[in-house]
Amino acid sequence: MSTTTDQLLRRATVSTFESLAFLFAEDECTGEQLAAPWGGSVSVEFHGPMRGRVVLRVTESLMPAIAANMLGDDESHLVPLQRDAIGEMTNVVCGNLLPLLAGTEAVFRLDAPHWRARTTASEDSRAGDAPLSSVVLGMDDGRVEVQLYVFSGHDALLHPNSALSVA
Amino acid sequence: MAFNVLIVDDSAVMRAMIVRTLKLSGLPIAAIHEAAHGEDGLRMLNDEWVDLLLLDVNMPVMNGEEMLQRIRADERTRDLAVIIVSTEGSETRLAHLQELGAAIVHKPFPPETLRDTILRVTGVTDVDYYGPVAASSDSLDF
Repeated sequence: MSTTTDQLLRRATVSTFESLAFLFAEDECTGEQLAAPWGGSVSVEFHGPMRGRVVLRVTESLMPAIAANMLGDDESHLVPLQRDAIGEMTNVVCGNLLPLLAGTEAVFRLDAPHWRARTTASEDSRAGDAPLSSVVLGMDDGRVEVQLYVFSGHDALLHPNSALSVA
Repeated sequence: MAFNVLIVDDSAVMRAMIVRTLKLSGLPIAAIHEAAHGEDGLRMLNDEWVDLLLLDVNMPVMNGEEMLQRIRADERTRDLAVIIVSTEGSETRLAHLQELGAAIVHKPFPPETLRDTILRVTGVTDVDYYGPVAASSDSLDF
């Protein structure tokens, strides 16, 4: 199941970055992309038939590019707007992923995006917490890592209306 | 007639993207007001004349679904034109929002989708009368 979940997580992330920020994912990261330092991460928790969260981590170099492409003006150097842009990206990835995982009849409530500066994947994990799915994508001169954590309600992943059941 | 628009979304970046689309839409606009959540939005509806509401669903303090229910329960605002702009993917919730008289635009959206929905909901059919659209529809994609 995790491989298919990875594919759905990848699909939701790629589509969101292409549509909202005009950034296109590469299958493999270059040396420059892998060496780029993390800028921070955003976590969006969801509550419904499943409970969990989506964490989106971006390299520092991508932050102004994402904000600039979304806003299309000179305000992209403002760090609060960069964080807000990445928060909205995470919100959209999460909102588009959940119907793929649990079917379109399921109703979820999403918490407000929560920003953390310069974190690594292990720093974002809570005790005993392991991601169900994780995807790393090269973009521009940096990279994006997106992780799905499911704390409860794993049965919802097997809903007949879920893309996982169809796959 | 020029429209007064209220945008309610907890993301300042998304509000800015919607403002940009509005300005490119050809819709005659008198004023654009912004709020970060439903409670703030209701306060603005009380204070300002609004012709069109663009509303997110998942927000802190008061979400868009509750705000829309309160709007429809108030005789002063029950006929207000409302467009939900959200990542919401639940058909159950979307059906409820449509029963409450809202049009739906799903994030991420191409600007022409939002523009066309705005024109349909407001009933503006001749944007050329007010001024041509400032950008071709394929020059941007949100």
